[in-house]
Amino acid sequence: MILALESSCDESAVALFDPSRGLVGEWVHSQIALHQPHGGVVPDMATREHLRQFAPLIALAQAKPEFAAVSQIAVTHGPGLAACLAIGGAAAKALALALRVPVVGVNHLRAHAWSPFISVHAEAPGDFAERMKAYLPHLGLIVSGGNTLLFTIDEARQFTVLASTRDDAAGEALDKGAKLLGLGYPGGPLVEKIGAGGRADAFDFPRGNGPRSELDFSFSGLKTSLRYRLEKMSEEEVATRLPDLCASYQQAVMDALVRKTRVALERRGWRSLGLSGGVANNAVLRTALAAEARRAKVDFFAAQPKHTGDNAGMIAFAAWADSTGVRRAEGLDLGVEPNAPLA
Amino acid sequence: MNIFDKLRAGITTASADASQAIAAEFAAALPETCTLALHGDLGVGKTTFVQGLARGFGITENVTSPTFNIYTVHRGPARTLVHLDAYRLETAAQIESLLLEDFLNPPWCLAVEWPEKIAAWIPASTLHLDLGITADEHHTIRLR
Repeated sequence: MILALESSCDESAVALFDPSRGLVGEWVHSQIALHQPHGGVVPDMATREHLRQFAPLIALAQAKPEFAAVSQIAVTHGPGLAACLAIGGAAAKALALALRVPVVGVNHLRAHAWSPFISVHAEAPGDFAERMKAYLPHLGLIVSGGNTLLFTIDEARQFTVLASTRDDAAGEALDKGAKLLGLGYPGGPLVEKIGAGGRADAFDFPRGNGPRSELDFSFSGLKTSLRYRLEKMSEEEVATRLPDLCASYQQAVMDALVRKTRVALERRGWRSLGLSGGVANNAVLRTALAAEARRAKVDFFAAQPKHTGDNAGMIAFAAWADSTGVRRAEGLDLGVEPNAPLA
Repeated sequence: MNIFDKLRAGITTASADASQAIAAEFAAALPETCTLALHGDLGVGKTTFVQGLARGFGITENVTSPTFNIYTVHRGPARTLVHLDAYRLETAAQIESLLLEDFLNPPWCLAVEWPEKIAAWIPASTLHLDLGITADEHHTIRLR
């Protein structure tokens, strides 16, 4: 039984995972409401909130009979906000001492990368290793507020990064676009909601694609082009055309993600395509990538909505499944790595 | 005219590449340790400018937006570049909780976006740059 803790940003989360059964409990405390008035996560407020929330969350896990079987603690050690990671790390080490079990550090991005396979495992836990053989090599796309990554997992479960962003992450492009449009935080879901009533081809925003040989993403030019566009419009015009602006801007972000993924899909014979991270909830993106996977004749796995944001379920799962990336610290030496890369 | 004089007079560029070339030239002329305050609204090219600084310091890795994690650290052959986005910091005191000083080993350059959010913390020796865009889609860079 693995007990996992996650505190990389503004969600405090705890989960219990039994490799022979699957996730037996997941608890999350989200701080969105706390940070909303500030237009984004305020680091030291987040840190103090983690400090308040972990004890009651752990108490909920302790109330489960399965808690008695905990044999390992897993905790996110990076990437994330340094002080927030430190709270989870300290809690994990305290639990490890109290329960006399080892503690391992899990890379938050690797956990996102594995998250689409949580439901594959849950369907038949005993057959997971055998079934995974049919899905590797795997091509994955992680899209969140802080990261935009195309990566692969090979047959030996080794990771390789194929592409990342040169400037802004896709989720950040949506959040900052929302800010330019005068919407609230978090911006991505608002852009999607308002854009649902607009035309995606109403405005022509740059896709920042670059040459086909280059898979890297770039979204800062898109942000600047929205700024130019808005400066040429009156406030009234922006208000009446808001749904069209949102739909067109979102389409530009999603098009870039889909086109690069398509190029990567064509490069070799992948056996599955994965989608994870906070922006994986975007319906336009899910639908478009599912279509790309069908076209390429590969299986498509998108993380379940509850595993797209920051959560401890994926941390516990990765602690078990990610045989090549887990940090097995000696004793209590586990530190935090705010800039930890995927691979 | 050296790069400092040129920047004090104000430079207008027509592309992101041109802005980065200016930043790279500026980087090569900066003192051993320095803080740069980059003033300018969303989408005017602050991160683009920092990418040019990185190029000037010989840093080859991608310099991505620091917004999500507040700051990023890039270690180059000539300089450690710390890129801070102060947008979500509400007071200068919050800087103390970021463990920033752990990464400021000389020679370093700290580039701060949204410096007005932490005005009380910004050192007196800081070089202040104003970044903007013009109606005809050009970028402007000026050293105060």
